[in-house]
Amino acid sequence: MTTSIEGAPAGLVVADEQAAAVHFLVDEELYPLPAIYGAAYVFIDRCYVFLDRPEPARVRVVLTAKTDAAAPEALRALIGEFANELLSCAFRHQIAQDNRVLVETATMQALAGAMGQPSLDDLAKFDFSDQGFDDPLGIAMSWEEKHGRKSPKPESEGAP
Amino acid sequence: MQLRPRAGTQAYFRWRAVGDRVLVTNLEGNWLLLTAPEFAQFVEGHVPEDSDLHARLKAGNFLRAHYDVRAAAERIRARKSFLAGGPNLHILVVTLRCNETCVYCHASRANMDQVHTDMTRETAERAIDLVFRSPSPFVTIEFQGGEPLVNFDVVKHAIEYAVDQNRAHGKRLQFTMVSNFALLDDAKLEYLIAHRVQLCTSIDGPEKLHNAQRKLPTQDAHQRAVRWIKRVNEAYAAAGLDPTLYHVEALLTTTRETLPLWKEVVDTYVGLGCKALFLRAIDPFGFADRTRQRLEYPRGDYMQYYRRAVDYMIELNKQGVQILERYASIFLTKILRGEDPNFLDLRSPSGAGIGALAYNYDGQVFTCDEGRMLHEMGDDTFHLGDVRTSSFRELVGHETVRAMTIASNLDGQPDCVHCTYQPYCGTIPSFNHKSQGSIFGRMRESNVCAVHKGIQDYLFEKLAEADAETLAIFDRWTTVRSRDHFVQPAP
Amino acid sequence: MTDVHELRFSRQLYSGEAVDQAVKAFARFAAFDLEQTDDHWVVRMRPENPDLARRLRGELGNHALGLTVQRGGAK
Repeated sequence: MTTSIEGAPAGLVVADEQAAAVHFLVDEELYPLPAIYGAAYVFIDRCYVFLDRPEPARVRVVLTAKTDAAAPEALRALIGEFANELLSCAFRHQIAQDNRVLVETATMQALAGAMGQPSLDDLAKFDFSDQGFDDPLGIAMSWEEKHGRKSPKPESEGAP
Repeated sequence: MQLRPRAGTQAYFRWRAVGDRVLVTNLEGNWLLLTAPEFAQFVEGHVPEDSDLHARLKAGNFLRAHYDVRAAAERIRARKSFLAGGPNLHILVVTLRCNETCVYCHASRANMDQVHTDMTRETAERAIDLVFRSPSPFVTIEFQGGEPLVNFDVVKHAIEYAVDQNRAHGKRLQFTMVSNFALLDDAKLEYLIAHRVQLCTSIDGPEKLHNAQRKLPTQDAHQRAVRWIKRVNEAYAAAGLDPTLYHVEALLTTTRETLPLWKEVVDTYVGLGCKALFLRAIDPFGFADRTRQRLEYPRGDYMQYYRRAVDYMIELNKQGVQILERYASIFLTKILRGEDPNFLDLRSPSGAGIGALAYNYDGQVFTCDEGRMLHEMGDDTFHLGDVRTSSFRELVGHETVRAMTIASNLDGQPDCVHCTYQPYCGTIPSFNHKSQGSIFGRMRESNVCAVHKGIQDYLFEKLAEADAETLAIFDRWTTVRSRDHFVQPAP
Repeated sequence: MTDVHELRFSRQLYSGEAVDQAVKAFARFAAFDLEQTDDHWVVRMRPENPDLARRLRGELGNHALGLTVQRGGAK
């Protein structure tokens, strides 16, 4: 039997006390999928997390207590924590898009500064074989590959 | 007051009510404390061009029409100068064994018979080999435990090996040791002084509190620490070193029992000749997790304790006593000088991996000492590699370091991104992970955030009061005097 | 004979490789039967020990979700 949870939007959050689980129907227009994944991932060490899509643009998140029984207060706390984490992830997702250049620049400077220049040993050990190589502009292609070598014109027969 | 903000005249700013003023800060960390009518003029775009307010806003780079991009870039570059530095703090946990049993033990200690938790000479050498691969021209090797004096032979070997290795590297090399001093003796002290090792101990306040929290079988942890603090300070003086600069510094851990004893704590530190007191709140690492219920406290209570203690320290300074609060000193250096003192837990991005590395007794390497403590509690999230098999670039370029660098950048953090204190603040990914389950954390619910905001509220309230003596004291708290004696002589 | 437990992982939300990998990780504890529909990766599980069924369902779901997130999503 499912019941609603005090303080949570009716119909969007329901508790199933018998299964020690709580269901949360998330609107993907408000919370993009990467944010839902992010919040769900944070919770997999605290409870069992299952996602489903019962209808377009909606994700149902089911959080199940790892123990057989869970008091209503525990389920309420679980979904409350999850809702906070979800909001935080959704906001961070937006900020990450807005401030991507700032964060990436600082990260690159920090890591380059911390790692220092590679030694000859580091370079010798570097494994190039596993690197994905994306070359949409064909910069790494030889001129011949890119444009094709002009084959010499066959001498026309009968030319003077 | 009903405000009708009108965009267009202001450059980007963040704001926060501080007492009866409004604090505004901008991207590069300039700040102004405005009265309510001044703030209304600013946000409504009605600041007369010939007014004092206009001049202050213009000088602080708060006006769009006069925005000086080059000046802003210079300020940001100065604040972020640590970015290109590389790891300069290298923590060697030379043993987990400890002679004291502390109620909040952060270090996941081992009993004295657990000799397998001693670092070997070979492991210490491999760790130091990695230390010298850091591109940073300044490196500090910090000996920790457990209690590092328990494995003093390896400490000595590490010092001598590092000095020897530094002949080829020529770095500004320093050693520090965090010890409870209970196992110190004359021969060890003589060695440490001769080798310019900076000594730091733990003092939890007055004797009764200290001995209740830091337990020796003889019940005299405080007496032993105090006796050796005096001996070390005498030794510095005998060597002709300026006692205002060269003296033992001590670390405090604030538990629930500490809160009502704010005055006694300050008096204890002043009485011991310490010039700095770091009012650190308890953190969730090590055994403290199990005993949290008994030791923890609401952060509102902590802030009341902090305010009382620092108010008292300011009063003492006005009477000629030199004592500063470390959190205040760090924040004020950023606020008043526009510089970053590179305290690794209070910068953006944090120093985990890119500013510091922690080497465990068995050669395992971690992003930070807290990450090493979590490993002892069974959580390997912050494990980077092994001194025997990992290269320096593999450790520092590790995906965990990359993730922590991104996660602790306040430009990507909800709440922080709009926080007035963002230019001066920092977050701790390992703390977030432990307390909230992700390295990002949620700042609105974070104890660290509550403390950081609370302290900055306090400091800006003091700056708004503009008491000349207090401002002079704050200025002194931001002055860094180099302790060159602790730098190893150039090879 | 133990009951069969069915888990239906949305193909829009879970990576098929992640579900496969999760099933392999728990193969010691249950017999599995996999099916693919237009919308779901369907996993039918017959646990060796019926008392562990609830835990197995939960852990298998967490494992599949964790691997999906690590791969950057279902696609």
